[in-house]
Amino acid sequence: MFNANRPARSDLPSTAQLLKSTGIAAVVASVLVVTVVMPAEYGVDPTRVGSLLGLTEMGRIKVQLAAEAEADAAADATAGSGVTVAPAVSAALAPAATATTAQAPAQAAPGARTDETILTLAPDQGAEIKLVMEEGAKARFTWTSSGGRVNYDTHADRPGVSYHGYEKGSAQEQTGELTAAFTGSHGWFWRNRTGAPVTITLRTQGAYSEVKRVV
Amino acid sequence: MTSTSRHDPGSWLRSPWTLAVLAIAFLFFEGLLSQALAHGVAEGDKGYIQETSGFLFWPFVYLGAKHMVTGYDHLLFLFGVIFFLYRMKDISIYVTLFAIGHSSTLLLGVLTDISVSSYVVDAIIGLSVVYKALDNMGAFQRWFGFQPSTKAATLIFGLFHGFGLATKLQDFQLSPDGLIGNLIAFNIGVEAGQLLALGGILILMGFWRRSNSFWKHAYLTNVVLMTLGFILTGYQLVGLFVM
Repeated sequence: MFNANRPARSDLPSTAQLLKSTGIAAVVASVLVVTVVMPAEYGVDPTRVGSLLGLTEMGRIKVQLAAEAEADAAADATAGSGVTVAPAVSAALAPAATATTAQAPAQAAPGARTDETILTLAPDQGAEIKLVMEEGAKARFTWTSSGGRVNYDTHADRPGVSYHGYEKGSAQEQTGELTAAFTGSHGWFWRNRTGAPVTITLRTQGAYSEVKRVV
Repeated sequence: MTSTSRHDPGSWLRSPWTLAVLAIAFLFFEGLLSQALAHGVAEGDKGYIQETSGFLFWPFVYLGAKHMVTGYDHLLFLFGVIFFLYRMKDISIYVTLFAIGHSSTLLLGVLTDISVSSYVVDAIIGLSVVYKALDNMGAFQRWFGFQPSTKAATLIFGLFHGFGLATKLQDFQLSPDGLIGNLIAFNIGVEAGQLLALGGILILMGFWRRSNSFWKHAYLTNVVLMTLGFILTGYQLVGLFVM
């Protein structure tokens, strides 16, 4: 039985040695928890070591994302079965934006609209602009950030579909054309991780009935 | 930890089966918690990686170490590998072989962007645990009359564990900006995490090896280890068809 032979007792570490090792392990673990794990998971950094290593930023971002996801889930729950994507839908910019998410038929002639939307993002802040479009409709867009690169997530939603991704990445500016995969809201989520405020200028032209800010 | 009598009321606590039940419960809850999130926004480590770009040495070292320390599939295999090893020299040889194996496929997998189904890779990783448990029990000697090289097995299964790490990293959707540096940092972290975990395992095993219960329960422990390996395999294979 077994692919090994029973070791002689003298070959094994002594109890005293094992206890000493346990003590060392506990000390090493405690030091790592305070200097590494706490900053990297919770953004709590009493020793400043985490900031030196760039781990505190990780913790800060994780805590922020978790809080946003929680707010998002709470908003979804109150809005009833995830009908709206955005948490604080209540018309930050566009006054009549909220209720008519999916159906905005026959308002503007296709390709007729041109808009310029300007918004400012504080460090770590995110914002989302959506165009209300019919399935297959096209809109040309250009957006630029006044500061450095911002993270973007180009995506869509409609009642029943809380997220449909087009593209994600990090850039200072982008030009392209959106083709609506379905009738609903299509647009951009930006996040400023540059550490300084940035202004985003979005120019859109095409077949959409409304520009709304959802976050 | 002297010889436990049949009616020792606390003996169930020390039973390997208690461990097995706890492990199954853990896998179950872990599965519940790691459900995909709505709204397409990742949280935690993945969220962090997607929100940043460029070369980030220490954060990736941390993520590599965390992945290893919290990766029960790798830890179970490592536990099996060192189960009967108690000389530092042997331990370092086997751990180095495992590290060479998983580092090469980790780097290769991510850099060449080979995408293997993570369910398939993780199922094989589960089978590596089964293999090692059978190996420890002397099953291959009994069944086939010879002992397959334990070193070769450690290296070869190390290659599969590396593919598992690679698919995990690919799932994070790393930005190409600073990719190689981040990858190497992650690999360094994996090795650091492995050494930390190994330290803990060795200390616990050291205490246990000194008691009579080690040899008494060695067989049963490897049966439990094998059970856990089969559970991991089943968990992944079901995922392959359900997800």
